Amino acid sequence: MSLEAVVDKAFDYRGNVTVVKTDGSETVGYLFNRNRDVPVPFVQMFDVNGAGPYTISYLEIRTIRFTGRDTAAGQSYAAWLRAKEAAKGALHAEKDSGRTPPRDA
Amino acid sequence: MSVPVSQMWAVASYVMKQKLTGRKRYPLVLMLEPLFRCNLACAGCGKIQYPAQILRKHLTVEQCLAAVDECGAPVVSIPGGEPLMYPDIGRLVETLVARRKYVYLCTNAILLKEKLEAGLFTPSKYFSFSVHLDGLRAEHDEAVCRNGVYVQAVEGIKEALRRGFRVTTNSTLFDGVSPLRMREFFDEMMDLGVEGMMISPGYSYSKAPDQEHFLRTQRAHDLFSAILSNPNRRWRFNQSPLFLQFLMGKQDFECTPWGNPTYNVFGWQRPCYLLQEGYAASFTELLETTRWENYGRRSGNEKCRDCMVHCGYEPTAVNHTFASWRGFRDTVHATVTGRF
Ligand code: SF4
Ligand code: SF4
Repeated sequence: MSLEAVVDKAFDYRGNVTVVKTDGSETVGYLFNRNRDVPVPFVQMFDVNGAGPYTISYLEIRTIRFTGRDTAAGQSYAAWLRAKEAAKGALHAEKDSGRTPPRDA
Repeated sequence: MSVPVSQMWAVASYVMKQKLTGRKRYPLVLMLEPLFRCNLACAGCGKIQYPAQILRKHLTVEQCLAAVDECGAPVVSIPGGEPLMYPDIGRLVETLVARRKYVYLCTNAILLKEKLEAGLFTPSKYFSFSVHLDGLRAEHDEAVCRNGVYVQAVEGIKEALRRGFRVTTNSTLFDGVSPLRMREFFDEMMDLGVEGMMISPGYSYSKAPDQEHFLRTQRAHDLFSAILSNPNRRWRFNQSPLFLQFLMGKQDFECTPWGNPTYNVFGWQRPCYLLQEGYAASFTELLETTRWENYGRRSGNEKCRDCMVHCGYEPTAVNHTFASWRGFRDTVHATVTGRF
């Protein structure tokens, strides 16, 4: 997988990740932003203590490990509907629709 | 319509000013999320799906005010998370009201009675609670995955009304909702005495063939037509009548996501309240560097194809009111007759 693809996956991931840098150091935390449409592409993250944001350029990243629990896993509205349908003995449920925004805005 | 005249006037004069200055993209409602933390865990809510250190974070009042100033929108909506859990919510609202921003505090109302009794807020024409209720008791408690929340919310609404606050409701309607039950819900809210209601379809995204997208849109139009055709004269909605017509399939709008920009602990969210495709450090950067052509129902973006959500299309409806005589006429007609 290319670095760009790994970064995109980390950006979509709802858990902490470990960014391993080319100098061997590591930053653990939540990667909330990435921007490739700038001269020096970068990611941004808050560390596990919530400190930051830290900006790290793509050039400094060797790889990213998915080390934290995915807080979205199995938590989509569609998954909830599926579970409900399953409980009712239904045979069919809609395909997962991914993250759902809050319903109170 | 139930939006107070002073608020209508503030928004109308703001929009006219933007038009006169030739501004192509302008914000109407700032979605200010001071925190993601919440005291509910509704199924599928993407706002609470973060690691603990992110859920513990919140914006400072100063950060909130800087965002409000930079954005310049006349209306500030404070969702979350649950904004009543934000430690400085009283000071934030008070400061925004002093700046004559029309503030909607979007809450699940679990803490509303307690915060009112603690004297955290003062009634003002600039300030409204917008209580999240997705239907009558059974439907709402199921939607928020906890029994008893509807009753708590209604108690909070009654207390707020008793103390002279403006109170509105906001409801998200998902596939499968009963039009009849929704109409009963509107009646019940009017009986309670809320100022007005806001409704929006839920957002869902799944890869599907063209025909399925078409059917989904048609289903949404049918649902909203069944609910809103022949409306009870008592019903009052705190939103653009043209947006309600759009939900019924009577208006054809394109998304204008910059109309409801979102600011939170990550920065300015691209491109809208629903999608998170990255963050800009400033509102100007958001406006200038987001590839807006990649979003909206006609963009071909799969994520936008079934979307009819208020944060993308209500600003379009408001803009439409002031963009042509027809838009203005349709708005006035719906406002005066109460029919959509
Ligand atoms: S009340 Fe709103 S923010 Fe809280 S979990 Fe439910 S939808 Fe999400
Ligand atoms: S169509 Fe919906 S999902 Fe797409 S940008 Fe507009 S509001 Fe966001």
